[in-house]
Amino acid sequence: MAAALAVFVVYTALAGNGVAQLKPSTLAGHGGDVTVVGAVVGKVTGDAYGRSGMRFQLRDIGSAGAARVPVVYRGSVPDLFKTGRDVVVEGTLRNGVFVAKPGSLITKCPSKYGPGKTTSST
Amino acid sequence: MAALGRAALLLAFGLIAYALIAGSYAAWKRRRRLALSAQNALIAAFPATLVAAAVLFVALGRRDLTFAYVAQHTSHKLPLGYALSAFWGGQEGSLLLWLLILSGYAGLAVWLNRRSRDLVAWTVPVFALVASFFAFMLCFVSSPFNVAPAPADGAGMVPSLQNPYMLAHPPMLYLGYVGLTVPFAFAMGALLSGRTDERWIVATRRWTLAAWTFLGVGQLIGSHWAYVEIGWGGYYAWDPVENAALMPWLAATAFLHSVMIQEKRGMLKVWNMVLVALAFNLSLFGTFLTRSGVIDSIHSFSQSPIGGWFLGFLVLMVVLSVALIYWRLPLLRTKTRLESLVSREATFLYNNLLLVALCLTILWGVLYPVLSDAVRGETRSVSKPYYDFFLHTFGLPLLLLMGIGPLVAWRRASLRSLGKTFLIPFGFAVITGVVLLALGFGSSWPGLLTYTFSAFVVASIALEFVRGRAATGSVVRLIGRNRRRYGGYIVHAAVVLLAIGIAGSSAYQTVREQHLRPGQSIEAAGYTLTYRGSTDVRGANYTGFRALLSASGHGEHFNLDPGMNDYAIEGPSNEASIYHDPRSLGDVFTKAQLVKGNVIDLQVLVKPLVNLIWAAGFVFVLGALIAMWPDAVEQRRLAARYAAGAVPAGL
Repeated sequence: MAAALAVFVVYTALAGNGVAQLKPSTLAGHGGDVTVVGAVVGKVTGDAYGRSGMRFQLRDIGSAGAARVPVVYRGSVPDLFKTGRDVVVEGTLRNGVFVAKPGSLITKCPSKYGPGKTTSST
Repeated sequence: MAALGRAALLLAFGLIAYALIAGSYAAWKRRRRLALSAQNALIAAFPATLVAAAVLFVALGRRDLTFAYVAQHTSHKLPLGYALSAFWGGQEGSLLLWLLILSGYAGLAVWLNRRSRDLVAWTVPVFALVASFFAFMLCFVSSPFNVAPAPADGAGMVPSLQNPYMLAHPPMLYLGYVGLTVPFAFAMGALLSGRTDERWIVATRRWTLAAWTFLGVGQLIGSHWAYVEIGWGGYYAWDPVENAALMPWLAATAFLHSVMIQEKRGMLKVWNMVLVALAFNLSLFGTFLTRSGVIDSIHSFSQSPIGGWFLGFLVLMVVLSVALIYWRLPLLRTKTRLESLVSREATFLYNNLLLVALCLTILWGVLYPVLSDAVRGETRSVSKPYYDFFLHTFGLPLLLLMGIGPLVAWRRASLRSLGKTFLIPFGFAVITGVVLLALGFGSSWPGLLTYTFSAFVVASIALEFVRGRAATGSVVRLIGRNRRRYGGYIVHAAVVLLAIGIAGSSAYQTVREQHLRPGQSIEAAGYTLTYRGSTDVRGANYTGFRALLSASGHGEHFNLDPGMNDYAIEGPSNEASIYHDPRSLGDVFTKAQLVKGNVIDLQVLVKPLVNLIWAAGFVFVLGALIAMWPDAVEQRRLAARYAAGAVPAGL
């Protein structure tokens, strides 16, 4: 067990301690590679395979606050990606725009435990 | 009808509360008749819960949208099978499934072991304590029987969950999670009663095996669903919710091995108690994780108020487990010592330490965002490289130990006998490794080591079967005479298949991505895929396209049609197209998205040996069933050991 503990300590000391996982509202000021978790808001524009990439905005999940971060993304569009979905994306904040790593966008699996929405009664 | 469901749940809660209070008092004061009454109340809680479950099933089947739960998780157009699967598709239904399985397990386990009065007297209140939490939640916090004016239609179900795998994956996991309560309840019952001999282990061995099997199969089904349905080309993402099922499975695996040492040599009593408590509490932790929303996951579980309740209950159970083990330490200490570091017992111990180390490093990875937030004020997370490192560091020696353990003698093994025993497996592994190295498999050292160690384990298992067959005359008779041992070897063979499948499909996979116009081709690992053009598709609630591909390679010719469906409500969904190559036992996995006009972006993943992972599931179940199968010889042996009519009965 001591050997296992030693391997663990050495690994965590040498290999660093993970990637910062931020909300759009806490992204400002972080220059390096980070992971952002947020909800897609507004209109999705552009082309994920085009030169300018696909553009959308992220807001804190479950928040109606004003903090939004523009995202530019290139690469494969994940399942169920659309406005309103919660997503996870890796990248770097550059001049106020979050430049995502190609292929890093993941749509969070719409949960079986998520709050249900029913159509209104007639 | 909702009133009937609520009444049945209240009755179940009353019976369970009685079993808890009266059972505790009876066990403390040694009141036999009262203990029997508490036992009967616990058994009676199952039919009461079954009535509540039947009410919910009927409501789901009839799409009775006056039930808020039914309206939130089904719709009129949802096929009946999926409507019924909504039972475990939502929070309240999942809690009811927990209680249904738990009350069923508890009633049966207590009834089967009713003659072990001392042990069962304290086991009943432990079962009742766990069940009372779930019954309380269902009656007073999160009821599936809330009613509201019926909407025009229900919310339906996410398309990716409308998959046959989803009919089996969650119930399997629940059967596993909840099943771990049985060894836990008996272990705590043993501590409370002071009967800390091997009876509780014998009484629960098959229950633990069954829970462990369900948990393993449930994870494999979930992985296969992710592989074929989600369309990202993988089957395990080290996501916290996935890890939540893996951790108790690892702890239970360690427990299943270490109990053999206690049975054979009377050692590791404290360790076994710790493992069974760890496995149970990790299963609670998994449930807490999926409902609290405290840890970010690609599974978008909503933040729910019941997370706090689960945390409170989890803390209570951890404190209770630790306190009981600490209190009974004098009874758990054994005089038997490990005689040699080169013995069967020692290899089991190394196996246990590695399994627990792997389990705890995964737990650390899962909790890291919460801990880093608490300590540094910034949420940080660890990802695949972290988990892969520890999988290699602890998993590869574990694989090797699977081959070493069965060949080492109990108590003490001499170097000379070891040399003779290991000669064939060692030689086979070395030859395999050298050949693979010459064939270019050195591009991935973890992959090469996995294959080499697997060869060692296969040779060691084969050697055991050959020797056993020589002694008994036939393999069937050999297995029949020692089901537990040879069932275990078959499970080891399944783990080898799993390891080879994972190594092949991850360490040696080929990934290619390219934009293609009609007529253009892409090459990947000896396969050539030519894009012929695209075609539109239309379903009841989606439109989409399919890229038509002709492919050839390794003597095979086949067609693939990956594409996308755009669901009106839910959004776009990748539709992967997979070819299972019977020669390589691998897959050609394709995914396509339209770029512009007829131009597609095509991803091709060639995953060698990936189908061994799914084949491992069948071998795993076969081995587990053999190990679980009742054994008359073993029963007679146990009857002799625990005389005076107190033979604990397994499942």
